[in-house]
Parts: sequence; structure tokens; C-alpha cells
Amino acid sequence: MTPPLLFDRTLHRKRLDRAAPRYAGFLKARAAEDAAWRLSAILRSFPLAVDLGSRDGAFGAALRAVEGADRVGTLIEADLSPAMLRGRPGLRVVADEERLPFRDESLDLVVSLLSLHWTNDLVGALVQIRRTLKPDGLFIGAFLGGATLAELRQSLLEAEEEVTGGAGPRVSPFADALDAAGLLQRAGFALPVSDIDRVTVRYDHPLKLMADLRAMGETNVLLDRSRRPLSRRVLSRAFEIYRERFADKDGRLPASFEIVSATGWAPHPDQQKPLRPGSAKASLAEALGAVERPLPRE
Amino acid sequence: MAAAEVDPRLLEVLVCPLTRGPLEYDREKGELLSRAAALAYPIRDGVPIMLPEEARTMENGE
Repeated sequence: MTPPLLFDRTLHRKRLDRAAPRYAGFLKARAAEDAAWRLSAILRSFPLAVDLGSRDGAFGAALRAVEGADRVGTLIEADLSPAMLRGRPGLRVVADEERLPFRDESLDLVVSLLSLHWTNDLVGALVQIRRTLKPDGLFIGAFLGGATLAELRQSLLEAEEEVTGGAGPRVSPFADALDAAGLLQRAGFALPVSDIDRVTVRYDHPLKLMADLRAMGETNVLLDRSRRPLSRRVLSRAFEIYRERFADKDGRLPASFEIVSATGWAPHPDQQKPLRPGSAKASLAEALGAVERPLPRE
Repeated sequence: MAAAEVDPRLLEVLVCPLTRGPLEYDREKGELLSRAAALAYPIRDGVPIMLPEEARTMENGE
């Protein structure tokens, strides 16, 4: 069964191309530092790695700054947007997260930070990533969680409802309470682990937040996004609501981002795993020193 | 066409994103050919563009 299409990938690519020259990479940098730090704690070498959705190359830069960076041999940077890759040295390829161009079982490490939330079939994309990994290859991912941009979403929705009497989705629906480890498990990864990093950025004005989103190439590409552009009235009402409801004491406006990180391994026979049911060699009663009695019959 | 050389380490792992089959490197034209899909993926400034929508459809007998 093909899942319904949510996102317009061609439009997403155009948005990224446009954002590339002045990419706002602060969230990406944060996710990249976290991923590099995770990697530095794993005492193994990764001869061939792919950074999927590399954008401005933040992961490569973060990796060079941590100890153990030399354990990653060759890093291939892949992005949907050619403009994002332009002018950088190193191995680069334009690739779509929904249709990976990498051979099965060819990679030791795949990193994908804050780019997979625009795929129409996230589990499908994760399955493809797992297939490109060698057995015991590592995946490190970061996704935007459900609390991301809650303030903006709420303000826009209410303002549009109030002014026009109806509202359409203006902010991409991030998976609510995204269970990243569960997603990785569904995609066939072993030993999945996930955690959440909450980031609040403060702005003088909501327009600055929106400019940042545009400069990340992260503006709405929902296929059923409202085609009517936001009217000036709706927008200014949304900014009022944002300020009334969320402003700090000093008048600054917080914008929440939730970065959900997850790691998982491509399965390998030598990995630790639960024993098969019924394969125990000692009985529980013996271990507890209890006497086992059959249940009384009715 | 000004297609800089593609790094052999990259060529070794790339496949056609549609068929997942092998690619042929056409140095002269600066393209990666997927015979099974009849598509030629362009290479721009040494960067292979592995998007079917950007690829050239190969002629019969090419």
C-alpha cells in the first residue's frame, strides 16, 4: 500500500535551493554537535559514512571538532538541494531521501539530521537507510518533535479562524510525541535508543522567526496547504495573539523546537538480543529457592 | 559540459535510485548511465545529480 502523499518534494527542493546562500543553521548545528558527540563515544571505526540532508555541512564541521573524528574515514555529503552542496570540497551527491542512490550494505554509518520530517513515508525512508548500511552499521538521526513551533501554530490557527472563520494548516504536522526509537524498530533497526532536546529561541518579533524558517528552507510544503496566502490581517492578528499569550516579561517571544534524536544499528548476528521464549536453562523457582506446586484443579 | 571528475569512492557506492541497479560512468559526457531505467544522470561540478526528474532519457541504441 502506498501511503498518502503529504509533502510536495519539488517545492521543498526549491525552498532549500533558495535558502542555501544564507542558510540559518543554528538548529542544524545543535543537532550536528550532539550527533558528533554521540559518535565520539562509540569506539569503532566507520570507514564510509553518508550525511543525508547535509545542508551547510554542519555535521562534517562538528565531527572535525570532536575527539575520535578520525574514526570516520570518508564522509559523503548528500542533499536534495544542489545549491546547498555548491562550492564545498569533499564527496558530494544530490540525492532524495525518498529514493536513495546508495548500494545495499555499502555504508558503515548514515547520519540524517533534521531533514527526514519532510519525507512522505518516514518509515519507508528509514528502511531504505537500513538497507544501505552494512550489518552492524550505525544510523544516527534527529527529527523535529511534536512540540516544535507550538506557539506559532496556535497563534496562526486562532487568528485565521477569528478573521476568516476557517483555518488551514500553515505549519507542517510534526509527529506528535514522536516515538523515534519505535520508528527505528519498525524500520528494522536493532538496539534503538532515543531522547529529546528542547530548545527555545527568543525573538523580538514573529517576523524574525518566520524569516529564520525561510532561511532554513523549512516553510510549509504540505500538498494540501492552504493556497490562499496569509492575509495581512490574519498575520497581524496572529502576531498579537503570539505576543499576548507567549511573550516573556521582557517582551521577547519564545519559539519552541524539539529535537528528537535516535540511534539504531543494522542487525548483525553478534549483537545482543533477547533470548527466545522457552530457551531458559534454569528455572525461576530454582533461582528463587521456591517450591513449585501444580495449580489446584477446579 | 564542464563535469569535473567524480571521486571513485563515490562511484563505488552509487546505484540508480529507481532500479537500484548499476551505473556506468560516461566520463566524456559527464553522466552516470542507468541502462535498466534508460536514464542518464547528470554530473555538475563533480556532483552527481541522482534525481530521476533531472535525468536525461536515453535514446534507443545509445
